[in-house]
Amino acid sequence: MAIRRIEVREKLMAKNDEIAADVRRRLEASGVPCLNLVSSPGSGKTALLERTLQQLGDELNIAVVTGDVQTENDAERLAVHTDRLVQAVVTNGACHMDARQILVALEQISLEDTDLLIIENVGNLVCPASWDLGETAKIVIFSVTEGEDKPLKYPRMFERSTWAVLSKTDLLPHLPFDPDKAVAFAREVNPELEFFFTSALTGDGMDEWCEFLRQRARAGSGTAV
Amino acid sequence: MHELSLAMDVCRITEDHVGRTSLGLVREIGVEVGDRSGVEFGTFEFCLESLLSAPPFVNARPQIERTPGDELRVTYVEVDDGDSSD
Repeated sequence: MAIRRIEVREKLMAKNDEIAADVRRRLEASGVPCLNLVSSPGSGKTALLERTLQQLGDELNIAVVTGDVQTENDAERLAVHTDRLVQAVVTNGACHMDARQILVALEQISLEDTDLLIIENVGNLVCPASWDLGETAKIVIFSVTEGEDKPLKYPRMFERSTWAVLSKTDLLPHLPFDPDKAVAFAREVNPELEFFFTSALTGDGMDEWCEFLRQRARAGSGTAV
Repeated sequence: MHELSLAMDVCRITEDHVGRTSLGLVREIGVEVGDRSGVEFGTFEFCLESLLSAPPFVNARPQIERTPGDELRVTYVEVDDGDSSD
């Protein structure tokens, strides 16, 4: 028996990273920032985006790509609030989106006519943290119904995110949820994390969130991370 | 699911290096898994063992090394080239 050893030293997911770099190059060439919204299922990503499109849809050209495991429900909800094509990526059971899906989605987006690209990722606080989609930054969303210790349970996602949104704040009077404790836990894993506090239902905090998006659109790509 | 995707990527990289027709000759695949890579070690190992024990592999096994950091990579592939006296 002659055993031959082949030295490899090749990264896993290298293909995804290559495509993500291509996505990033295209976005940077057009000056389009791309925000990748990540969260657990049911945190209110779609509701936040619905309200965002209502408030900013006439002012900014926002392209949206939604990822869902099985349906196109989120894209259909968002399409009501914008004249632009909302692209649905159905992952057919996969727990995350990958860069190839974003590259394909870019084929349908006129980047010259786009101020901001938002990706609504699949609801999952584990796997999407590992997949670079070519985004400018990840924004993690968690709701006040989820428990303050979410950042400690899913530290990688909070480490990888540049901003966080605490959503559904209209429910705070009815819940034993301490926002200060949630922010403190999040900053234990990522001291640089900046927070927004929003209620898509009442509109509280939406002005600050929308002003942030205006600033990102003005800043263009490549400056957030 | 995430671990299975990664295990399948290990198989793809192995095929790139040895060719599909030689996958049955692979005996060992070295893989580094960073302790901050977000990979559940036991699940990943189980996925890899499952894939490497089925065709087109015949008798391959993973040799997984935990490393500091977030790297995930295939480090080597060992292939049985047969009786060296031939």
